[in-house]
Amino acid sequence: MTAQAVEQRELAVVIGLEVHVQLETATKIFCGCSTRAAEDEEPNSRTCPVCLGLPGALPVLNEGAVEAAVKIGKALSADIPEQTTFHRKNYYYPDLPKNFQLTQYDAPICANGSIEISVEGTRREIGITRAHLEEDPGSLQHKGGSIDTADYTLINYNRAGTPLVEIVTEPDFRSPAETRAFLAKLEEVLEYLGVFDPTRDGSLRVDANISLVDADAIDADGGISADALESANRTEVKNISSHKGAEKALAYEVTRQRNAIQRGRAVEQETRHWDESRGITVSMRSKEEEKDYRYFREADIPPLAVSDWKERIPIPELPDARRDRFQTEYGLDAESASKLTSTKEVADFFEDVAESFDPDLAATWVADNLLGELNYRDMAITDVADRLDEFTRLIELVDAEEVTTKNAEEIVLRSMLDDGDDPDTIIDREGLGKADDDEIVGFVEAAIDENPDAVEDYHDGEDGALNFLVGQVMQKSRGSADPGTANQVLREQLDG
Amino acid sequence: MSTNAFITEETIEPDGDGPLSELTVAVKDNISTAGVTTTCGSAMLEDYVPPYDATVVSKIKAAGGTIVGKTNMDEFGMGGTTETSAFGPTENPAAPGHVPGGSSGGSAAAVAAGEADVAIGSDTGGSVRNPAAFCGVVGIKPTYGLVSRYGLVAYANSLEQIGPLANTVEDAARLLDVISGPDGNDGTTNDGGADSAYAAAADGEIDTLTVGVITDLLEGADDRVVDVFDDRIDALEAAGATIEEVSLDSLEHAVQAYYVIAMSEASSNLARFDGVRYGTSGGSDGNWNESFAAAREAGFGPEVKRRILLGTYALSAGYHDKYYKKAQDARAWVKQDFDEAFESVDVLASPTMPVLPPALGESLSDPLQLYLMDANTVPVNLANLPAISVPAGTADDRPVGLQLIGPKFGEETIIRAASAIER
Repeated sequence: MTAQAVEQRELAVVIGLEVHVQLETATKIFCGCSTRAAEDEEPNSRTCPVCLGLPGALPVLNEGAVEAAVKIGKALSADIPEQTTFHRKNYYYPDLPKNFQLTQYDAPICANGSIEISVEGTRREIGITRAHLEEDPGSLQHKGGSIDTADYTLINYNRAGTPLVEIVTEPDFRSPAETRAFLAKLEEVLEYLGVFDPTRDGSLRVDANISLVDADAIDADGGISADALESANRTEVKNISSHKGAEKALAYEVTRQRNAIQRGRAVEQETRHWDESRGITVSMRSKEEEKDYRYFREADIPPLAVSDWKERIPIPELPDARRDRFQTEYGLDAESASKLTSTKEVADFFEDVAESFDPDLAATWVADNLLGELNYRDMAITDVADRLDEFTRLIELVDAEEVTTKNAEEIVLRSMLDDGDDPDTIIDREGLGKADDDEIVGFVEAAIDENPDAVEDYHDGEDGALNFLVGQVMQKSRGSADPGTANQVLREQLDG
Repeated sequence: MSTNAFITEETIEPDGDGPLSELTVAVKDNISTAGVTTTCGSAMLEDYVPPYDATVVSKIKAAGGTIVGKTNMDEFGMGGTTETSAFGPTENPAAPGHVPGGSSGGSAAAVAAGEADVAIGSDTGGSVRNPAAFCGVVGIKPTYGLVSRYGLVAYANSLEQIGPLANTVEDAARLLDVISGPDGNDGTTNDGGADSAYAAAADGEIDTLTVGVITDLLEGADDRVVDVFDDRIDALEAAGATIEEVSLDSLEHAVQAYYVIAMSEASSNLARFDGVRYGTSGGSDGNWNESFAAAREAGFGPEVKRRILLGTYALSAGYHDKYYKKAQDARAWVKQDFDEAFESVDVLASPTMPVLPPALGESLSDPLQLYLMDANTVPVNLANLPAISVPAGTADDRPVGLQLIGPKFGEETIIRAASAIER
């Protein structure tokens, strides 16, 4: 094939993902050690004979981890087996206390699921081959250099035994953007399920398999034949830790592979490392031996019957369904519904407010005002989780016209977030209680007295005059007057 | 030579009172004792001091037992003579100049020599019953899941159980009463033995008992062993038991299946001994694999290396189905054969060992002969069943043991039958 001919080929991208998610359980998957990293904790302090793999120690399955995985399975519309078992994956690596990893092999806790994503208006269904439970290894710290050049390496087993779910997709992605959308969606679902804490370091780790095939090997639905997939050399990209990182790493890899093919070179089948800081993938240069993990059943963990767990374990309404419901039930537009379902906490709070107040008012206050001010301060609703009743109180005050919307937004809410006070305290302190009608009449009379020119202009039919006078009334009331009332009283006085 | 029953002689005081008060207990050196070296008979763990007690050790201490030391054993339990220990062989007190059996040879020898009242060992393919038979003491291999393995350094974890050794059936049963029961630290334990009273079952009452003699396990046995065995079976019949002959076709595959499974599991269980935390460091030059290999080359003896290599091979891609999977099929068949046999008999009987104790050094050069010595004991481990070895007499001044096998959690029945043989 000439280089000319090669250039003519239209190429299509084929990507499959393996996503490792740390489950948010209180204890590790096979022992009672905490999964929560304390700040500045000593290395190897959060360990016991089991997660250190001491001779004679035995794993005891944390059923909480299995429950979390079943929730994920339900959210992915996956099959849950009759019973689930664990296998040993045997390989030597210094971060692995037993030199084998406990994982699942032929009876994973979830199989045959899917997630629907939408990229630029196109909906695509991504198949989930399987999701299985396993234990996280410890972590290595290379001192005095990189993995190849370090003087020595320290091992910290605090992470060892943290429960992981590995979610394996079908090779269904046709662009790096789709992987990003998938990972964002997955993260959203996992958060809704309450099984995942994105703020934990290393809580989401992604490996991607990527190859380029002839475009005509892809059918109209984005499907690809097994033959075409098999014949293309692929690379495995490791060390991706975010959905943004996935898109960047894979975009880089698409370009790199396309360049190679267009120059008539074969893409080498290899493992590559995503270097986030340099924005490139680099070959791991390790000799790719045929990996033989010598899997076999772990007899220390008896089979666990889980056939009825899918029915037994409830999961909350998922983001997509909730978004749709918010539009129909509360009459919200798509954008508000989307904002209000961005996290489960926000959606729960909105529904709590919407139960007592007008849904439009609730939507404006939660989606626009509260989230806007939080976002401006780089905060999330979880940062104010214990003050939600104070925000409800503020909305109540606005609803009862005890404070003007303007003051509530611009002074009270901001002060609540900046100073940590409750709304009643702030309103008292700032004297923002809404002016009553008598007070407004006083302000109106004063405004008329002090602005004879404006009064004259009003009578001459100048449009701006009334607004000017309303502004004067507002100023005198320090914002506590309701502009509508001020307007009405002014006209009564001027026309009367 | 001295008996060399112990690798470490160190007293661990009890922390409670109970059925073991006033008794001294020897503990096999693959069972973890907090603060006391636990070597597994291996140079690899020469300096390994566990930070925690095995569940059985906690239970012995709480029941008033005084632990007097850690007993010699074949390295990691891999052997039937206690000669593969990195700490030298143990001599059989009941047959001087001969091996004590193994792998719990030190535990059996300590009891036989009066250096401990009772002992615990572990039985992966016969490692309690074999030395009990050779040393002329009683040894029990409990049903898989009756006794916690937490703290037992694994050789082949799907097969092994911790079990008691003692001079009498009743003492062994008393120790079993203490160490048995579910344990939150071992997910394979269960309450199948609930409401059992093992020591009380040693009452010798067997007149309603049907005993099945496994003819397959007599065929390859030494005539001198079979003669002693037959005498005891005749005595049982005279005492009122009903005797039947039973043949189990699957047993001819048991030894092969056992060794494939045990070695496969061992290759994984012993992987953690890589010189990073145990044994002599393999050095920090070169890559990790070279360092690990050097540490393992230095730390393991030849029998352990042989079993790790064979086990790794049996699990490898391309051989897994031919060996490991086939062995699992054979294991299922053995289980099924036993289940069927127990539909018509209460206990099954065979000689514990098909041979008399070999002389020290006699058999070490031929691993295959040693593996075949396990023919009568390994089927029990494959089927997760309970069995007891009880002294049946002697031949050529060497002890002969009789094995009684019970159905799952049928410990009381085999203890009762064994106590009748003992009388």
